Amino acid sequence: MSEPLLRARDLTKRFTVRGPFGRKAEFTAVDTVSFDLRLGETLAVVGESGSGKSTTARMVAKLMEPTGGTLEFEGRDVTRAKGAELAGFRNDVQVVFQDPFSSLNPRHTVERILLAPLIYQGIQPKGGKRALARELMERVGLDPDHSQRYPAQFSGGQAQRIGIARALAVDPKLVICDEAVSALDVSVRAQVIELLRRLQRESGFSYIFIAHDLAVVRQIAHRVAVMSEGRVVEQGPCEQIFTDPADPYTRTLLAAIPRIDPEWDRRRRAAG
Amino acid sequence: MARYLAGRIAGLALILFMVCLFTYLIFFQLSPDPAVMICGKTCTPERIVQIRTILGLDEPFLSQFRDFLVGLFAGRDYGSGANLIHCPAPCLGYSFQTSQSVWEMIVDRLPVSATVAVGAAVLWLLAGIGAGLLSAVKEGTWWDRTLMGLALGGASIPNYVLALSLQYVLVVHLQILPFPSAVAFSDGPVLWFQSYLMPWVVLATGYACLYARLTRANVIDTLAENFMRTARAKGLSPVLTMRRHALRPALTPITTIFGMDFAALLGGALITETVFGLNGVGKMAADSIAKNDQPVIMAVTLLAATFVVVGNVVVDLVYTGLDPRVRIR
Amino acid sequence: MSELLVVEGLTVTFPTTRGLVDVVKEVSFTVGRDETVGIVGESGSGKSMTSLAILGLLPRGAVTRGSIRLDGVELLGRTDREMRRVRGEQVSMIFQDPLSSLNPYYTVGLQIEEMYRAHRGGSRKAARKIVTEALTQVGIPEPERRASYYPHQFSGGQRQRIMIAMALVCSPALLIADEPTTALDVTVQAQILRLLAGLQRETGTGMVFVTHDLAVISTIAARVLVMRRGEQVEYGTAEQIFAEPRHEYTRMLLESIPRIDDEVAS
Repeated sequence: MSEPLLRARDLTKRFTVRGPFGRKAEFTAVDTVSFDLRLGETLAVVGESGSGKSTTARMVAKLMEPTGGTLEFEGRDVTRAKGAELAGFRNDVQVVFQDPFSSLNPRHTVERILLAPLIYQGIQPKGGKRALARELMERVGLDPDHSQRYPAQFSGGQAQRIGIARALAVDPKLVICDEAVSALDVSVRAQVIELLRRLQRESGFSYIFIAHDLAVVRQIAHRVAVMSEGRVVEQGPCEQIFTDPADPYTRTLLAAIPRIDPEWDRRRRAAG
Repeated sequence: MARYLAGRIAGLALILFMVCLFTYLIFFQLSPDPAVMICGKTCTPERIVQIRTILGLDEPFLSQFRDFLVGLFAGRDYGSGANLIHCPAPCLGYSFQTSQSVWEMIVDRLPVSATVAVGAAVLWLLAGIGAGLLSAVKEGTWWDRTLMGLALGGASIPNYVLALSLQYVLVVHLQILPFPSAVAFSDGPVLWFQSYLMPWVVLATGYACLYARLTRANVIDTLAENFMRTARAKGLSPVLTMRRHALRPALTPITTIFGMDFAALLGGALITETVFGLNGVGKMAADSIAKNDQPVIMAVTLLAATFVVVGNVVVDLVYTGLDPRVRIR
Repeated sequence: MSELLVVEGLTVTFPTTRGLVDVVKEVSFTVGRDETVGIVGESGSGKSMTSLAILGLLPRGAVTRGSIRLDGVELLGRTDREMRRVRGEQVSMIFQDPLSSLNPYYTVGLQIEEMYRAHRGGSRKAARKIVTEALTQVGIPEPERRASYYPHQFSGGQRQRIMIAMALVCSPALLIADEPTTALDVTVQAQILRLLAGLQRETGTGMVFVTHDLAVISTIAARVLVMRRGEQVEYGTAEQIFAEPRHEYTRMLLESIPRIDDEVAS
């Protein structure tokens, strides 16, 4: 088997919590989390609030320094990467956030938002900037003629597509989706997930998909890591997690998902 | 809690020490030679040297500063032998102008400033919060627009313009109020009230306008909170909904601002006191600055800083009592 | 048996800068005693406006037409003073975000107690006993002590339990639950749904359950109203909506739900 794209070993994050009257307490948000991710693969990290999944994502994106453990990207240790090395890493790893509107500058046009990563990284796209912006919009299913509009003129689902297009602008190897579809309506969410899958097929990058919703994860993940109280309680191929969960917590999570009566589902499908 | 308090008091002491250091540095090192000022026009070089020795001005900065700090807490002596002058703690030195003990000057004038500040505070809280509340409840109506227009106007009038206009109309023209002066309460409550009424109104106007806008904004924000919807969904009366659920969250942040404003005012209302000729700390500050009376400038600066810093700690403590979310578990 | 709540041709109009906008158009449904009716829709469907209209809690400026009858008595057109007797006493409501729906400045005990006393009067002491009972009923441990806690001292699930305890303290005939589990973790959601269903069986309260989540609705509602852009798309029994949807939109919504068990079964 080839070298993994990303290798996390014993990632740990401890926070010092200051009480209102100066009392200190230590709190371990992420506790020795390890995983490998190959190119073209999607790893879903699922867990409830406070499980440490978002902190893990932030450490992997190097938006937060881990307290302990190591992070290797393409065989290089990037745990304490700085300067040019960090800039290179940022080029390869992009993040799509939960709230599309608060993560897009409301005063910038879509084109400017999409090209910003290129400008920060000092890249001149072939064929010109305008053409690239149009191409990116087309790839995520937006009308390229809308490149001069502002985020507020788009719906939530469209805004999230802009966020995705921005991530794709620098041709990343890894896209981290931090609850990227959680705030979307169910019909829009299905479309955005389909888009994410198509983009992966086309470009062959990897996803780390952070979600609290197990059902959504099943549609996109190759492998799943279930987190609870800062630890990975179970990790394995997607199908195995859903059909043959080993950990009791995973089973609790699965059992808690509300389901439509399978009999009703069957009848509807038979009719439709 | 005890640890927290100890920490806060230590921080407070440190800040006051820094304030002392910097005011001392600025006034005694950067301004003209005090000995020349004290000595006056008919002065011999010998006399200047003598004064310098008495005041300790010939010593290096740090030892002068040390003497000042010691004087604050333990008192100090100026000169020696028959010329010895003992200045009891807290020693803030003697005025270059009047040779009075600066501490005694403050003790004399502080009640005047406090009277001005307390009266004005009562006025501006009543008027400001009242107007703000009314405006918020009647948001977008004629009431709201009128009150907020007045508040904007009121906040734009300079203190002295208002003071002089009021004085002209009420004292000179209509003659329904006496000329303001620092009348003691024991001289008769009515006269006392009449004498302070104008300073109160003048000082309160600016604050009241500010507080009205602040209150209005806070109340409007609070009315939009989800828990207000809950309160209505519970079927509570509008009075209870307003009084219990809206007022406390809306007014709690105002206590912080009020604490700071009030503390700052205790250090003297410079313009108001000067315009009305009230012998308070503010007027003392203005006079001392005009005449470069360094010990007095130093003292009023320290006094104002102390009020603000202590006020800050008091506000924080009060806040923990008002907002359960910042309380200790 | 007569219906508890009858909503007929409910239309809610808002004045906006672009003229009058109907956020709810001609919506009709009924809720029987101890029945749960689900209102489901995506954002902007008007589902929350419909539920707020029942209690007369719409934002200022909204105009409501049609008819809302509770126990045969018309609620529309009543004054705020008259509606106050309905709110909390006959119809109560719980909301999506329990933390912001509770006042952070007061203990949860006081917030439940004031609701009881607003409708039933009585001494604080007597009300406190009721508060303890209400908290026990929703599964808050050590209810007597915890009544003196503030909202921020509870977990998200417990806060929603407290909201439910408050909503039921006057034994209303109808409970409106507006996205009550949306902000909660999935395991906590399951607990709250179980609690609501259990309490309903015990007390016989009718319920209007508003959510964007079809799967949640399918587990709790007997009848379902599907809404889109203020309009009623479809209204029927849960079985009919989920097994034989008549409208294309309902079908599309159902197809969008990610499936957990599909491949497992095959």
